Amino acid sequence: MHSQPLSQVPGQTQVTPIVAFHEVSKWYGNVIGLNKLTIRILPGVTALLGPNGAGKSTFLQLATGQLFPSQGTVSVLGQSVWNNPSLNRFIGLCPEQDAFYEWMTGRDFLNTCARLGGMNRAEARDATSRTLQAVGMTRHQHRPIRGYSKGMRQRTKVAQALVHDPDVLFLDEPMAGTDPVARRDLMDIIQRLAGEGKSVVVSSHVLHEVQSLTPNIILLNHGRLLAEGHFRQIRDLIDTHPHHIVLICDHCRNLATRLVAWEDVEGIKVLPGDKGLMVETRSPDAFYARLPQLSLENGLLINEVYSDDDNLEAVFRYLVNK
Amino acid sequence: MTPASAPAAISRSPGRRRTYRLSLSAFWTLYQLTLRGHQHGKRWIIMTALMLLPAGLGLLVRHTAPNVPSVAIEFIFVFLLIPQALLPLAALIYASGIIQDELEEQTFTYLLIRPISKSAIYAAKLLATLTTTVVLTVLFTALTYAAIYAGAGGNPVLSRCLKACSIHALAVVAYCSLFGLMSLLTRRVLIAGIIYIVIVEGLFANLAFGIRLITVIYYLRIIAYRTLPFIVPTPSGPTDFAANAWQLDISNDPKLLEHPQLPHCLIVLLGGSLACSILAMVLCSRREFHVKTVEKG
Amino acid sequence: MPIFDQGYQHWSGRLSGHAWRWLAVTRHGVRAGLKNRFLRYLILAAWVPAIALVLVLCFWGLIERRSSLVSTLIQFLSFLQPGIITSPRDFRIDIWRLSYSYFLRSELWFSMIVIFLLGPGLISQDLRFNALPLYFSRPLRRIDYFLGKLGVIVAFLAMIMIVPSIVAYILGLAFSLDITIIRDTFGILLASIEYGLIVSLSAGLLMLALSALSRNSRYVALLWAAVWIVGGVVSLVLQSVDSEQRRYAYYSKITPPPVMARSDSPSRQERAAQMRAWRRARERANTEYRLGELEFSKRDWRPLVSYMADLSRIGQQLLATNETWEKLSRFEPDPQSRDRMLANYMGPEFPWYWSAAALIGLFGLSACILNRSVKSLDRLK
Repeated sequence: MHSQPLSQVPGQTQVTPIVAFHEVSKWYGNVIGLNKLTIRILPGVTALLGPNGAGKSTFLQLATGQLFPSQGTVSVLGQSVWNNPSLNRFIGLCPEQDAFYEWMTGRDFLNTCARLGGMNRAEARDATSRTLQAVGMTRHQHRPIRGYSKGMRQRTKVAQALVHDPDVLFLDEPMAGTDPVARRDLMDIIQRLAGEGKSVVVSSHVLHEVQSLTPNIILLNHGRLLAEGHFRQIRDLIDTHPHHIVLICDHCRNLATRLVAWEDVEGIKVLPGDKGLMVETRSPDAFYARLPQLSLENGLLINEVYSDDDNLEAVFRYLVNK
Repeated sequence: MTPASAPAAISRSPGRRRTYRLSLSAFWTLYQLTLRGHQHGKRWIIMTALMLLPAGLGLLVRHTAPNVPSVAIEFIFVFLLIPQALLPLAALIYASGIIQDELEEQTFTYLLIRPISKSAIYAAKLLATLTTTVVLTVLFTALTYAAIYAGAGGNPVLSRCLKACSIHALAVVAYCSLFGLMSLLTRRVLIAGIIYIVIVEGLFANLAFGIRLITVIYYLRIIAYRTLPFIVPTPSGPTDFAANAWQLDISNDPKLLEHPQLPHCLIVLLGGSLACSILAMVLCSRREFHVKTVEKG
Repeated sequence: MPIFDQGYQHWSGRLSGHAWRWLAVTRHGVRAGLKNRFLRYLILAAWVPAIALVLVLCFWGLIERRSSLVSTLIQFLSFLQPGIITSPRDFRIDIWRLSYSYFLRSELWFSMIVIFLLGPGLISQDLRFNALPLYFSRPLRRIDYFLGKLGVIVAFLAMIMIVPSIVAYILGLAFSLDITIIRDTFGILLASIEYGLIVSLSAGLLMLALSALSRNSRYVALLWAAVWIVGGVVSLVLQSVDSEQRRYAYYSKITPPPVMARSDSPSRQERAAQMRAWRRARERANTEYRLGELEFSKRDWRPLVSYMADLSRIGQQLLATNETWEKLSRFEPDPQSRDRMLANYMGPEFPWYWSAAALIGLFGLSACILNRSVKSLDRLK
């Protein structure tokens, strides 16, 4: 299996990456955090995935200049990020840890972050009000943070990353501990930012929600790059796991006798209760193209067709657990 | 999202829609943030208890030993107890947490990702720490004088009080700079600080050898001796308390010519503080700070 | 059936009672504490006084047996009264008491440092990382939790105070080969174990109370340093101010050194003789002053401010060290050297129950603080 980085898709002119890692390694004593990672993240929304200990947080800390690479170079927006505080005006980070100045109110905290970003009093006040409204925290802005719920704390964390209107946003587990409503709101915020031309790199474990945000993924495992690009392209390239397509139909055994004759069908499983079939195939597009004709010719009604593993979770599972 | 629909690459055009002040406002904001942080938590309770000690003891001694001259009580509490034990402890309490408190609370990330350099972060927090400790020191030194000389004040006492406050402020600046640097060199700054206080400032400073030149308290004592008289009337005649306690051989060297002069002491203390602060700022700018996971020693 | 389920299996045994639940907490705490390199080195260093104690006891055992191994070393004991060397068995108890007294005094310092390194994080880290629900969601009561944490401190202090006392006792017995030694010295062993337990419980509970006051273990350590060091300094200052007052009042009665006028022109020998007489008088005055201070110390409350002084006073009472010095001083040839010995070696003589009351008060205060600071699960925020 090989991956095709987005920046090298044939026929497309070179796009300047927002984040570029070149042969980056980072180790903590004897433990290797990242291992010779070379990657270029293009503008847009990109999901950073990987199991625990894959190196996602190390990646984000290197990208935001908190850590210095043991080897290799890291650049953001074309500039080296280590000891380059002026670059932080264009970068926003929502860190994973749930830590605040608990004695501050939400407004106070955001205002302080805005002033630390170099804004004057009036600008900071306006930016704070705007950001509070964007994350839906206007009603709770005057309460101390120690009294916030988990969802409010997450919103406040995202808000501090947005208050100075950065060009690039790094979100480390932004959905952690949030309820479905907060999660939905955060996703809306991210989509809105993407629509405004911001670039967002999201690290998350909530795969189905990340999938609805973006199809562009970077998959890390044990500090190495496992895959990058459009997750469907990656799925197609995973040879060891044929696609699973589920067909819900009434005469499933009849349908199965027809399907088994197709060369690209590798296996058929009858679902419990004869509700339908689960077909394994390496050529899903060709399968979909032929399926309607089969159904019409033989009078076999198919009620529902869906892919069982044409999703991010399947890609993650197949690549990480192999 | 296919490459064809990707947004345009971010251009670094010089004309930005945002205007930013100089980082001076960020520096000032961080200074204020640190000052405000000092007012929260239980640290100030410990500080207040420590600093009220000499005043409380002064009152107690005045009531239980009325024959002891006030100058003697002043010497014991203001020039022995405070600079030997309380000032270094107070400086250790605050300066050891300049960076470490934020690292442990995991709020340091919010500072690292702002457009303010790490050395500026350290400088702003050190300045705030110095402000807090100097204010507390001056306040409680004055309170101690009030307790010792209550009802017997006047200009001479006020002058002594002002000089003592200045000397103590200088001491706490030196200690804060030193312990701030230590906090960047070792995670066990508390143990290192207490060992320093006990051995260097406690033991070496009381040896009548050249080794006391490396201690902060030696220069404070010289400054104090050169600016304030410490003659105490006793039944066996006037006694120079300070010279006896600080092992200054005034019988052979009454003008202390073998000891540094006042400007020299000031230069050493202020210069040393500045050097420690600059070194700490340089170290801070080069160091990585692992905020997410607890750093190992 | 030939194929067995490898999944979760319910445990069908019986849960043990509450009596030993605290041991799990203690075991974990001791294991965690032993990972601290500095603590391990400190415990090793704390055994040096124990080795010295063993050497002294074994040496005395050999002297009692008039062993040829130590015959050449007896000449170095000329500072002891001849009566002690000629009949060492009569002074066995006194030597053992004083040896244990010095040993425990040095181990008290090590104990304070061990608690300084080990104690601050015991409860404060649980508060910081919100680990209390992990404890109290199990069938663990608050008392089990407190006993477990206290057990950690007791375990480490036992390693440096109680265990060495017992080991030194056994080795001392072995080198004596006299069965009557058990009758004579068993009380000393019991007293040292009792003292070790008092120090462990008192200091341990105090440290736990301090640790429960803050989530930041650094401030707890500073609080402990304040109680230990600053308390001692304050006590010393109060005592110094008071004793200086008495000292100046006392010495103002002593005549100054003789000053010879030119017209007198005494001979050099006469001047030297007069200076010698003056120095003797001065020395006598010093000794009388110190004895006077010892007498005053019977009603001096100032040492109570120092936590270590309170603990030392209890140790002194348990081991009866002052009585031992009084007994040994009776063998001094003249009253002056007897007084000098007492002035140099006797400890403070304020009533031991004052220190006991202070320690009990601190114990009660610590228990109250713990009760208020550490809540069970239904009360946790």
